[in-house]
Amino acid sequence: MVILRPEETGLKELLDRVLDKGVAVDTSVRIDLGSINLLGAKAHIILASFKTAEKIGLDFPEGTNLNTLAWQHLTTKQPCPVCGMESKSKELKEEGCPWCGWNHRPDER
Amino acid sequence: MRDRIMDSTTLTPEKDASGLADAIDRILDKGLVINADITIDVAGIELLGIKIRAALASFETAAKYGLEFPSGTNLETAAWKEAMIEKEECPQCGKRVDSEELLNIACPWCGWESAKAKKRKKAGVKVEAQ
Repeated sequence: MVILRPEETGLKELLDRVLDKGVAVDTSVRIDLGSINLLGAKAHIILASFKTAEKIGLDFPEGTNLNTLAWQHLTTKQPCPVCGMESKSKELKEEGCPWCGWNHRPDER
Repeated sequence: MRDRIMDSTTLTPEKDASGLADAIDRILDKGLVINADITIDVAGIELLGIKIRAALASFETAAKYGLEFPSGTNLETAAWKEAMIEKEECPQCGKRVDSEELLNIACPWCGWESAKAKKRKKAGVKVEAQ
């Protein structure tokens, strides 16, 4: 018996998308009285997953060690188009996905 | 009949149990960066400037990405060493397992094998047969 819960996969998908694409909020507010600039506020806010943040070059908090293995994997690994599991880009391209066996079949192209 | 339905529902992996829990899992696992620059000025004079560089993640993700921990945190405990091992979720049972083991051998919990492990096994059998 398979019970599908579309609303849950929806939330998951939504979250994945938001985190992967990132959210940027850019606002500025100005309050003038007569011709005098009374109050002004500017806010530039950006929200993203670690992976996206690294890709678009966001600052990380001071003291973050950017030389760990996980950082290197962000640039060398790619998700498989079928199963979504990550593996080394080169391996995925040349030998196929090591997780599910997907292969783009270079012979048939 | 009722028993059978009961069985099938109790057998569903726990990670499907709640959408919210899953969402939190994901955020903590992927990590979240929140950067903000806020300035407030009064009558053309900059009064207040706020610069926020925040990173939100689970302990495991934080350790992996080398985020700084509060001073006094002992990073030599077994749990930290465990956190530094690269892990992957088993596609079958959903347990988090050492990714090298999962990819090259099998899932130690449910026995799931990756395509690579199967290929290796096959090649191994062939070599033995020759």
